[in-house]
Amino acid sequence: MKIKATTFNRVLLGVVLAIALVIPLLIRTNQYNLVLVTTVLLYGVLATAWNIIGGMAGQLDLAAFAYLGLGAFTSGTLLIRWNVSPWIGMILGGLVATGFAVLVGFPLFRFKVREVWYALTSSALVEVLKVAFVMWEDVGGPVERYLPYYSFSLYHMRFGTYIPYYYIMLAILVIALLVNYRIGRSKLGFYLRALGEDEDAAEILGVDARACKLKALMIYAFIVGATGAVYACMYGFIHPSFFSGARSTEVAILGIVGGMGITYGPLLAAVILVSAREFLRASLGGQMESLYLVIYSVVLILIALFRPQGIAVFFQDAYRKLLSRVTGDEHVLKANTPGI
Amino acid sequence: MDTVVQSLLNGALMGCVYALITLGLSLIFGVMNVVNFAHGDFVMLSMYFAFFIGSMWGVDAVFTPAITFPLLFIVGVVAYYAIIDGTLRQKYVTQIAVTVGLMTFLRAITQLMWKAQPRALPYSLIQGSIHIAGYNIMLSRLISAVVSILAIGGVSLFLSKTWPGRAIRAASDDLDAASLVGVNYRWTYALAFGLGSALTAIAGGLLMTFQQVDPTMGVRFGLLSWCVLALAGLGSIPGLLISGIIVGAAESLSMALWDPRARSLIVYLIFILVLWVRPRGLFGRK
Repeated sequence: MKIKATTFNRVLLGVVLAIALVIPLLIRTNQYNLVLVTTVLLYGVLATAWNIIGGMAGQLDLAAFAYLGLGAFTSGTLLIRWNVSPWIGMILGGLVATGFAVLVGFPLFRFKVREVWYALTSSALVEVLKVAFVMWEDVGGPVERYLPYYSFSLYHMRFGTYIPYYYIMLAILVIALLVNYRIGRSKLGFYLRALGEDEDAAEILGVDARACKLKALMIYAFIVGATGAVYACMYGFIHPSFFSGARSTEVAILGIVGGMGITYGPLLAAVILVSAREFLRASLGGQMESLYLVIYSVVLILIALFRPQGIAVFFQDAYRKLLSRVTGDEHVLKANTPGI
Repeated sequence: MDTVVQSLLNGALMGCVYALITLGLSLIFGVMNVVNFAHGDFVMLSMYFAFFIGSMWGVDAVFTPAITFPLLFIVGVVAYYAIIDGTLRQKYVTQIAVTVGLMTFLRAITQLMWKAQPRALPYSLIQGSIHIAGYNIMLSRLISAVVSILAIGGVSLFLSKTWPGRAIRAASDDLDAASLVGVNYRWTYALAFGLGSALTAIAGGLLMTFQQVDPTMGVRFGLLSWCVLALAGLGSIPGLLISGIIVGAAESLSMALWDPRARSLIVYLIFILVLWVRPRGLFGRK
């Protein structure tokens, strides 16, 4: 029996989504595992959003947790002070992060701060925000600020279990993937990829580098900022340590080793590497405290050295073989198009 | 007023050490255009080596570079051949991914060996302070600054007078032309990376005379040295020294006059502003 490629893709997506929907129900009794899978999704969202500015536009942004922290502080402060629902705080948090992105991105792109300097500037921004929020005692300060506790309140986005957070995160992930997919096939996406390949050449061909990069940065910042609201609710407090340079760098690394510009690449990297890291951490914990990081970093180096195109490539090959087996079409094996 | 001058003095002395650290980074970045995110962690590593040697054999921290300098040189050369060499022809993001991996690796391995708590050596020969015109100058910082300046001068001589040094400069100016006149670029790159890392050994030994070390320290020195490099631009060694002093003084001033927590804030703000306003730095050639 021969199946069409589109049907095959739909079935594949459906299976993946079904697995993602069922996972929390299988492990619902173990809150620790629930936190883990939600964390994997969180990194999936961040790396997928990063794919727009980093993977496509080639701007190595190392400030994911700056935008996340801004979103978390916006919605958290609104909830604590004025009892504003985090669902509204999510939008506002996203807007604040976007505003900050414009504030920073406009001069950066205007003055052609590029490549390594862009990366370092964004990395410095995270630290600047962290110190600024520690010193800004009205909103941040060195002590955690706790969100009001409810055992189950949809309005306050506060739940006694992590299952709802998992589904919220999953919804955001699906939105982020859709946005990524749409942009990848729009004019903006082609412009961004041209910029990522060679910025000067793209500009000569008439791509407005500044505007395109700023748009990409804004979309990325909004998604990450909105995620920040969920992040704050999930952990139940806000604290300047949310602005973490190391974790921001990790998001970018996931985007790179996943496969730059491939829609599902960063998610794949997040699922594999973050769960592997957490598994290592849990199983090696105790006397060998940091061994998991040693192994993790060696794996990162090996992937970057030997698979610079990203681990998505492995899956593309497997996907094509499966597709050709199912559809009986030999051409997909040689096709040079990005997968799904 | 007194506090201003006092903190300017302290900061300027510290800035000389920053300049020494940045010299290593500028060798690596300027010569082979490799973005080394792990440079700050090499500083952290050499501080741990200094601590280890100092506490095991009772050697004073000032003298540890005699052992850690060749050690770090070897670490740098090994790191070059093991991971950097393979990424030279790749996009810069791959290089960054690799050096971030190296950074995580160094941090994890030091955590594994020395645990996360801060470590310090008990005392140093160069303790105490001297008083000049009513100002207090810590002897350890003064000697650190002098040694840093001497080391910078030494590297400067090495780069201009010796054959390997000239090979490094030639490779940095024009790799193809340098290869034509017989410069082996891989050896030169390995040498530059090794030397760049080894310079952090001197800085690490000096810093251990008045500081403690913990595994997360690398981030601070990493960004700090990139900031000094951005301010100085590539290609000018005296410019590096001046920029280091500016950054050190700014850091120290903001600590004295504003808030001790604001020290990194000022450094990063300088960094961002310099990139916006003058991307090639104050003294840069490229």
